[in-house]
Amino acid sequence: MTASTIKKTVKKPKQPMTNIRKKEARWGLAFLSPWMIGFLLFYLLPMLASFGFSLLRFNPAVPDESTFIAFSNWQRAIMVDREVRLSFIRTMHFAAISLPIGLGFALFLAIILNSKNVIGKTLYRTLFYMPSMIPLVATVLIWNGVLNEQTGWINMLIESLTGIQAVGTQGLRWLADPQLVYFAYTMFGLWGIGNAMIIFLAGLQGVPTELYEAAEIDGASWLTRLFRITIPMITAVIFYQLVLGVIGSLQYFLAPFVLTGGSGFPQGMTRFYMVYFYKQSFSFFNMGYGATLAWLMFIFALVLTIVLFGTAKYWVYYAAEERK
Amino acid sequence: MRKLLYLISILIIASMILTACGPVNNVPPLVDDPVVDDPVVEEPVVDEPVVDEPEVEEPEVEEPEVEEPEAPAEKVLVRWFVGLGAGSDEGTFEPQNAVVEEINASQDEFEIILEIVDNEVAYDTLATQIAAGNAPDIVGPVGIRGRDSFFGAWLDLEPMIEEFDYDLSDFDPALVDFYMVPEEGQLGIPFGIFPSFMIYNFDLFDEAGLNYPPAQYGEPYVMPDGTELEWNMDTLREVAMMMTVDVNGNDATMDGFDPENIVQFGFMNQWTDPRGIGTFFGAGSLLADDGETAQIPEPWQEAWKWTYDGWWTDWFIPNGPYGGADFLQGPGGPFSSGNLAMVHLHMWYVAPWALGDVGFDWDLGATPSYEGTITSKMHADTFSIPRGSSNPEAAFKALTFMLSEEFAPKLLQIYGGMPARLSLQDAFFDDYTDANFPGKTINWDVVVDSMEYADNPNHESWMPSFLETTDRYNEFWGMAANTPGLDMDAEIEALRQDLQDIFDAYFTLQN
Repeated sequence: MTASTIKKTVKKPKQPMTNIRKKEARWGLAFLSPWMIGFLLFYLLPMLASFGFSLLRFNPAVPDESTFIAFSNWQRAIMVDREVRLSFIRTMHFAAISLPIGLGFALFLAIILNSKNVIGKTLYRTLFYMPSMIPLVATVLIWNGVLNEQTGWINMLIESLTGIQAVGTQGLRWLADPQLVYFAYTMFGLWGIGNAMIIFLAGLQGVPTELYEAAEIDGASWLTRLFRITIPMITAVIFYQLVLGVIGSLQYFLAPFVLTGGSGFPQGMTRFYMVYFYKQSFSFFNMGYGATLAWLMFIFALVLTIVLFGTAKYWVYYAAEERK
Repeated sequence: MRKLLYLISILIIASMILTACGPVNNVPPLVDDPVVDDPVVEEPVVDEPVVDEPEVEEPEVEEPEVEEPEAPAEKVLVRWFVGLGAGSDEGTFEPQNAVVEEINASQDEFEIILEIVDNEVAYDTLATQIAAGNAPDIVGPVGIRGRDSFFGAWLDLEPMIEEFDYDLSDFDPALVDFYMVPEEGQLGIPFGIFPSFMIYNFDLFDEAGLNYPPAQYGEPYVMPDGTELEWNMDTLREVAMMMTVDVNGNDATMDGFDPENIVQFGFMNQWTDPRGIGTFFGAGSLLADDGETAQIPEPWQEAWKWTYDGWWTDWFIPNGPYGGADFLQGPGGPFSSGNLAMVHLHMWYVAPWALGDVGFDWDLGATPSYEGTITSKMHADTFSIPRGSSNPEAAFKALTFMLSEEFAPKLLQIYGGMPARLSLQDAFFDDYTDANFPGKTINWDVVVDSMEYADNPNHESWMPSFLETTDRYNEFWGMAANTPGLDMDAEIEALRQDLQDIFDAYFTLQN
């Protein structure tokens, strides 16, 4: 008999709740009710409504002409509309570039700022965190200026340091060149990396120091300690950041929308999935089709998250589970 | 005690929900239709039953007399939504408000409430209002593009034109028909028209030692050596290249010309889209006559390739990278920067906000021809009534005031439009010049003449999935403006195929 079957067989019959327990349960539910009501009204019902919309041809400009079209919107999104596939591929393409760079850079900064040898750590932590306090729209607009091919200081710097023609209409067009635009957008993200850095830092500070001391006694190098102790011990944090990063990438919208109004410039490269969803829903007023696109993304994000959680048991280490 | 607490909590929550869901107090004036509708109904129509009443039911006549004092105090509210076209620039707010106040003071049947929404968000705002059952009563000024973005949302005005016996004789019948949409009806009454023409910078031509473009249709262009050339697209290209200058002072026809350091351009079809640029070479539509097939009209293909060459090989049109150049920024875009010699634009551009404070002399000229045909695309604005209006009759009444000989000129002065009313056209240009460009002599004749070359079908006409189609061809255009070395024929064919896909999806869902 396995431990789990023993647990099942010895399960106690349900005892009636005492008055105190009932009272506690009622108060517990009362305190939870605002969230539950909020979830019901603002999440669950809109979700169900959006599924209903996905079965309609619904244009808000002519709401009285809405018609039930069953799964035609779904069929169009999955079978016909190749922009859905293209925008999804673009999103994954961008995620494949920006996510490793973003997570890697945040981890790198956190490791540096966790080092005993860095002077003025508090100041640097503050400085690196500060940009993430700036609203993302402002960040994007600032970077738009910084990366301007004619007046941006990055191009000026590159040209003055290397002599390569970077400034001018024939220079490095970060936001207009399909080869460069994802790197430019990744740079926006790097500027607001403070949050991720702080979370990594917290994870690093939770690694028991005795492990390092033992490794040092054994003569382990810095790199060995990094790959054999630090990273394995913070895999739970890396996993958390990865899940958030993947979901964030799937929802990537604001920067391309602020810079291009959703036009996809250059050459459709910035028409990510959520941008296309927005255009269909709120620019083209195809609300029914937009709802379908939103549901497709929800389903994909759900599957991806489940897959990620499925892989977690192979590489994520939870110290708390070990102690159990 | 605990039960009492629960009870009080439930009552508070219930009262809050009821308060939130309850009717808004401001609504009653809108609901009082029966009281106020009487004066709104045109007098001739009401007169007939009134003749009968005194004979039969004299005592009942007293009842309306009792109610009469209340009626003037409760005007029907007519919400006027501005934002899809002209009228959302800050400088126009006060003059528009002044006209509204004047109309409101001139009668006691309706009260216009002006709602100005920034053009950037106006489309979403209007869609949301319509979807929420809170549609405005009047929308405009709105052009064809704005109107067709809300295809199916407008009220057919024809029944009310007939009911109120509204006189359309002061409008060009062709212009009235312009707003007659098959299966939709009469979606507007002509208000303002905006012909297009060339505008050129005198100073730059003087500096280059070149003659000015023809002021009138039919005139040739005279080259510096005295040769007379037909004013067509080839001549325009040649002159524009001579007017395009690099940082070393070479023009685009010279061997040493440096296309990476241009400081002055020769020509631009400013602030229009691929359909407008295509129409520069001839009228057409992306939708074939069968109503289902996507097409790129032959003149449009030529116009697009001509423009593409102007961007990337002849260099006389600012391409994408040059679009953001500092030397082309002005209050009215590139032309008002003073570093662009010629533009093709509409009457709405001849306005103080665009040309009022420019530091150079300018005038209007004739549109060049393509293969012997001149096409001067036309913009036309009107006011429309959404189908969801809660007061369509009061809205129509308000509309008649706005389009009247008394108030239309005032609104047109604000929006820079040429009156659609024939009786107002003669005086318009003098008044407009005095009000906006005092002391300046402007070649207004070419504006009137340009009307003869208006595009038919109009370049802003409806297409299936109007907004999605627009988005797709704009993407194509942005790509071409920023990418040298394209095979334009292949790109045009790819665009046509994409448009066909969009059209097919539209018709599939319709069926």
